[in-house]
Amino acid sequence: MITECTLGEAMIASLARTIEDGTLVFHGYGSPLVQLAMQLAKRTHAPNMVLVAGATYGVDPDPPFLAPTSNDWVVDRGAACSLDIEELFDLGGAGRLDRMFLSGLQIDGWGNCNVTLLGEPEALRLKLPGGGGGCNLSCDVGAVTLWTTAHRAAHGRFRLVDRCAFVTSLGQRTADGVPRAALGHRGGGPDRLVTELGVFDFAADGHARLVGTWPDTDVDLVRASTGFDLIVADRLAELPLPDADAVRILRELDPLAIRQRELRAGDRQRTFALRSAR
Amino acid sequence: MTVYTSPDKRTDLDGLVEHVRDRAVVAVGGGLSSREPMAALRALIRAGRRDLVVVGSAHGIDIDLLCGAGAVAETRESYVGFEQDFGMAPNYRRACESGAVRVRDSCCYTVVQQLRAAIQGVPFLPLRSVRGTDFLVLNPDYKTITCPFTGEELLAVPALAPDVAILHAQYGDARGNLRIEGPPVADLLFARASKKVLATVEEVVTTEELHARGGVTVPYLYVTALAEVPLGAHPTACYPHYAYDRPYTAAYLDAAAAGGDAFRGHLDRFVHVDHATYLARIGGEETRHRLASWKDGTEAWMALYGEVS
Repeated sequence: MITECTLGEAMIASLARTIEDGTLVFHGYGSPLVQLAMQLAKRTHAPNMVLVAGATYGVDPDPPFLAPTSNDWVVDRGAACSLDIEELFDLGGAGRLDRMFLSGLQIDGWGNCNVTLLGEPEALRLKLPGGGGGCNLSCDVGAVTLWTTAHRAAHGRFRLVDRCAFVTSLGQRTADGVPRAALGHRGGGPDRLVTELGVFDFAADGHARLVGTWPDTDVDLVRASTGFDLIVADRLAELPLPDADAVRILRELDPLAIRQRELRAGDRQRTFALRSAR
Repeated sequence: MTVYTSPDKRTDLDGLVEHVRDRAVVAVGGGLSSREPMAALRALIRAGRRDLVVVGSAHGIDIDLLCGAGAVAETRESYVGFEQDFGMAPNYRRACESGAVRVRDSCCYTVVQQLRAAIQGVPFLPLRSVRGTDFLVLNPDYKTITCPFTGEELLAVPALAPDVAILHAQYGDARGNLRIEGPPVADLLFARASKKVLATVEEVVTTEELHARGGVTVPYLYVTALAEVPLGAHPTACYPHYAYDRPYTAAYLDAAAAGGDAFRGHLDRFVHVDHATYLARIGGEETRHRLASWKDGTEAWMALYGEVS
């Protein structure tokens, strides 16, 4: 009997809750939590979601297990059909893509993300791998779920920052505060940010707002790890956890526990008792 | 832009890379851990090609190796890394951070539109996206324009016709028709947009056999030359022939992260040798059998992704 879930499984369930049934949803590569969130949603509350997998562009794949690389035949197994790379991005450009998921080494209060570089373009302190198609899709896709497994400030360095060193993907406003609506982009931008410390929505002015914490985190911990001004919702909720059935599905989908690799070592041991078992 | 009509384009790896000049804009096929033309890239390094400009979408060991060998002057890739598997690309990082490689990162749809402009023979194509991000700072050749029909502000991105696309396919025929099985990533766009297409294939077969296998993916008229190179994508996957070689990749990354003599040792052992020697050094038939074992079922396939000791 499953009586508890890991932090990773709880985060996956939170990501999955941002998916509506009957919508077209895409994940990029290098994000096991999101791959599993989409598969979980498809198997529970969103059976009619069109699931497009990043790197392969397979539609509704049913992989026998999750691999640590996204452009692999194993994660494309069972796909009903496949899109071309241009077809996927055209779906975004034309306003047919409803949701995708983005992350960043830095994320600011408007939901701008940086996965490109630290320092100046001519004097780099750190070259990050880059954003794939995230820049284009952050502008075009109907709604964006943001996530990070590295919210907790380490060595005095924030990941949730006042300003990104480079804006790879666009949030609710530009780094200078210009609302995205003024740029004429199709998409509505980020509406959720799921971290290992809590979950944010985005208020009417476009700024991230803490709406819930995990059973072992609180507002003070979130504030201490947040480099932008922390806005907290009037009613702060303890975040809902997955049910035992959802946890079982996740463990079957990911027998190699690739989902744990996305978490920092200290967060891999965090577990929460499920409601039914309390 | 020309078309290639020779009835027999078969050559070897050395003959293939003669078509690439220093400073060429190179589109590397495949993506992440699959179907990257690694044998051709090693041949390019052996031939001493340098100052290459690499363009593409999602890459890993291919671009990292070229950077580690000092062959790259500029990157216009969207992503170079090893996902949640091994993380960042050490040689790529080092080359970008030292200034040896100029960073002009791009984004997948931007690259797609630039390639499509070249394919269509128009000087640019518009995009709605990108405005509001810092890609305009990295790429001053993007221009904001006003749509003459609607008055909307859009971004114009210039046509991109790579000097050469280097692809690895499962099958090809002597004339240069290619059959790619599984996700083609950007290979078809690269083939149509590039001035030359150089291909390695697992097997050269007859045109009839290509058709029997499901048909042509890249028509021969785009293809300049091809070489039959079994395991030509190793250590990336080329299904159905072989899966991704995770232990080799882990060892590569250890050498790449250490840099210096450790990485020079890797180059001496695996790059500055002919392909037959390479195949022997990666473990010969034993490795070929191990990487083909994904066909034996889910347990065998999963075992290929187990922890690297």
